[in-house]
Amino acid sequence: MEQPNTDVIQGTLDMLILQTVSLEPMHGFGIARRVEQISRGVFKVNPGSLLTALQRLERAGWLDSDWYQTENSRRAKFYRLTRTGKKQLEMERADWARRASAIARLLNAEG
Amino acid sequence: MSLWRQLTYGLRGSMRRKARDREVADEVEQYFEEAAAAWRARGLTAEEAKRAARLESGSITTVREQVRSYGWENAVAAFFGDLRFAGRQLLKHPAFAVTAATTLALGIGANIAIFAVVESVLLAPLPYRDAGSISVLNTHWTDNGHTSRRVTGPDGADIRNQVRSFAAVSLYNGGNLGVELRDHSVYTVVTWADANFARVFSLEPVAGRLFNDSEANRAALVSEEFARDNFGNAQAALGQTLHVENEALEITGVLPRWFDFPARTQVWEAAPLNPESKSRTAFNYKAVARLRSGVTPEAAQAELNGISRQLETAYPTENRSKRLMVQPLQQALTGDARPTLLLLWATAGLILLIACVNVTHLQLVRSIEQRREIAIRKALGSSRWQVMRPVILEGLLVSLIGGTAGVLLASAAVRVLVAMAPGDLPRAGEIHLNGWVLGFTLGLSVLTALVAAALPALRAAKVDPADALKRDASRGMSRHGATSLREGLVIAEITATFVLATGAGLLLHTMANLISRSMGYETHRMLVVDADAPAHSLSDGLRTVRQFDQIFQNLAALPGVEHVAGIMGLPTGSYGSNGYYQTRGGLPVDPNHQASANFSVASSGYFQTMGIAVERGVDFGSKDTFESPFVAVISESLARQSFGDIDPIGKQIQCGLDSDKWMTVIGIVGDVRQDSPAEPPGPTLYMPMTQHPFYANQLHIVLRTNVKPLALMNAAQQTILEVNPLIALRFTTMDVMMDESMATERFRAVLISSFAGVGLLLAMLGVYGTMAYSVAQKKFEIGIRMALGAERGAILRSVVRQAARLACYGIVAGLMLSLALTRLVTSMLVGVRPMDPISLTGAASLILLTALCSAFAPGWKATHVDPMATLRAE
Repeated sequence: MEQPNTDVIQGTLDMLILQTVSLEPMHGFGIARRVEQISRGVFKVNPGSLLTALQRLERAGWLDSDWYQTENSRRAKFYRLTRTGKKQLEMERADWARRASAIARLLNAEG
Repeated sequence: MSLWRQLTYGLRGSMRRKARDREVADEVEQYFEEAAAAWRARGLTAEEAKRAARLESGSITTVREQVRSYGWENAVAAFFGDLRFAGRQLLKHPAFAVTAATTLALGIGANIAIFAVVESVLLAPLPYRDAGSISVLNTHWTDNGHTSRRVTGPDGADIRNQVRSFAAVSLYNGGNLGVELRDHSVYTVVTWADANFARVFSLEPVAGRLFNDSEANRAALVSEEFARDNFGNAQAALGQTLHVENEALEITGVLPRWFDFPARTQVWEAAPLNPESKSRTAFNYKAVARLRSGVTPEAAQAELNGISRQLETAYPTENRSKRLMVQPLQQALTGDARPTLLLLWATAGLILLIACVNVTHLQLVRSIEQRREIAIRKALGSSRWQVMRPVILEGLLVSLIGGTAGVLLASAAVRVLVAMAPGDLPRAGEIHLNGWVLGFTLGLSVLTALVAAALPALRAAKVDPADALKRDASRGMSRHGATSLREGLVIAEITATFVLATGAGLLLHTMANLISRSMGYETHRMLVVDADAPAHSLSDGLRTVRQFDQIFQNLAALPGVEHVAGIMGLPTGSYGSNGYYQTRGGLPVDPNHQASANFSVASSGYFQTMGIAVERGVDFGSKDTFESPFVAVISESLARQSFGDIDPIGKQIQCGLDSDKWMTVIGIVGDVRQDSPAEPPGPTLYMPMTQHPFYANQLHIVLRTNVKPLALMNAAQQTILEVNPLIALRFTTMDVMMDESMATERFRAVLISSFAGVGLLLAMLGVYGTMAYSVAQKKFEIGIRMALGAERGAILRSVVRQAARLACYGIVAGLMLSLALTRLVTSMLVGVRPMDPISLTGAASLILLTALCSAFAPGWKATHVDPMATLRAE
């Protein structure tokens, strides 16, 4: 069921989620808001894709989840990074950096 | 780790579906609440915040469905859902389900049965260790293209001594013989084999040891079965003595039950490695060899070619154009059965094709009924694949049910097949349903499903919602394309059936020819006794002849016996000889084409007993003794072949059977077909038993009876054993022997005919289905026609005419196909030309009749359409 991360958007979504959760355990909406805020609104996250991605990442063993009470005194599912998740994030970051710098070089060369 | 999580999460998800759904719902709800809360924090009212959240993120339900459908377990669930749906559909249409499954069961069953035989006989490796490297050696003549399965002793010995490609070469020969034990005799297959025989087959005895070369003509191995039947068990057989021909043999070892080579051998007598026969023109041996590991048959053949050339140089006359050939044992064993089995397999394939077409047709009819439903589903947004899936699953389900029923059918059919198979079908004992066969079935079922469902599924995918909802065939507006497709399928079915029926007709005609053929002798009310008396020397032989004479007299005195005689070389019998002969006073002889004939050694009275007419001259008599001048009787074709218009009586003839004395021809008798009714009557040279005692101890006693022949068995056995208790006996009748000689032809004819019958049944179903459907479709039209005054006869005629038209197209196509294919069966026909008008017209009329019959019921139904009811039924 693993889907290859060739799709840039999806690959990015996974990485963004892992990065966001690496700071502290968070629930779905928290992740969406954080991504939106930090990207200054460049990335809008669709809840359907986000929650599906969370399931996928959990099944891949990169996230674990627990139900906690929120400050709004409602039960929410909080996701946190596992050890393999951390490794995965590091890998994806390195990969992204490699690609980004390659693309930047290409664009500069062209210009 | 992640695979494990996939698995456990998926399983947990599908086990606790409700809990998981609630969890997903909670999470999604919480998300939307938080989103709304965020909007509220920016100053919107509760109501506005909710709307803003929904505008931003879409509907709660859509998100929930999207999240919920994640995971492999959901795809599995969807599959099972579709499967349940397909199952329910089948239950709702039992007529369709049963017809389709039965059709496939017949088609698949026939294929499994034939495949089981093909697999066991042709494909499965022989049950010997490293069987692939066991080969047989043949002799081939490059000048006339003839190949013999035998080799001469010296050629075989030269190969063994010089060819490096073989790890072991063994010469053997043998046949049906009497084996004397201490107090009784047994009639069985005895093989003389040298010490290399066991090396070629990598044999290990289950008891005792193998013999070695120094024990030639003194030791023997026996089969486990032989040991059990005659000594109780394998251990008890060791050290026992048995007599074969003139030798006393000690049993040194017992070979395992599964070892059956040459077929049905029970005793393997030790023969010397150095062959007794020193002639390079006497093909007295068969040879088997084991290839050295790593040596290919091609390499071995190349080496054999070299040696053959050397031998040709060394022996220019005896070995002229002679090439020794290597052939894999499996090919040598099963080569003869191959064409028959492949023919059957092709036929079974044709049946399956017809069955597929039928099921396709049935499904198509159903899918046309479902057009509305499919159109609605498509209008509601189902994808092509979603529409096709239930159709394909339905096909799969039907063919798996059919396949299962087919296996049951086949396991019964295989038993019938084996029982019916000709006695010389190699490896018949090994035939059974195994894993390969079941795998083949599964593959076949799935393939069938895909083939049968492909067309209906594609059509389902193509349904245009708007178009389908507008049109409605039951209103008399049928789409032309759909009709012609279905008719095309029926025509294809009839074509295939016609080919089958023609094939069956040809083989049945062959069979009828064989049965009605005169053999040249009497076959009814003939008891045949295979008798083998021990004889070790000339005096033994002469005594045996006298004993047999006594036996014939005693047997003739039994009530119910009309005539008795003895013969070596009985037609269709197991003993016999043939070879070249010379004449004095006959036609001039071409030295390159010496005349040959079957040799028979007969007692006096043989011709009378067998009902063979003595055309001229006299039978052998009591005055023809070992001491008197040698005499012979010849058959008409021999007289024609070597004497032409010259009167053969009183002329001289000589052959190399056992003596080179010239014999005087004293009589001419009618020709007989020697081996089977399929053979032309050939030349035979008869010699009296009294003058050829070495060939007089192994013979068939024939008794012409006026009661049921086998009723005399016990009396005859007693009479014979009274004279000599050491004669090994076996009883049969001429009718049975005749039957066995036609077993292959009968096997083919019966099988192909039953296949043709199944094909006919399926074609009938096909025509019936099409007609019934088209009548149901046209009910409205027929109603109007009848309301306007059409006569019932005209309606019936129009339906039947449609069926006849389809049948005629099918027959014409089938005729063309048959013309192309019958060449393949030419070699299996006797007295029938491939374009046999009887078979062709028979097949054509049978199919036309079937088509008309199966169209009649729907046609009759059409004439009973009530115009008022149809017009009102909207």
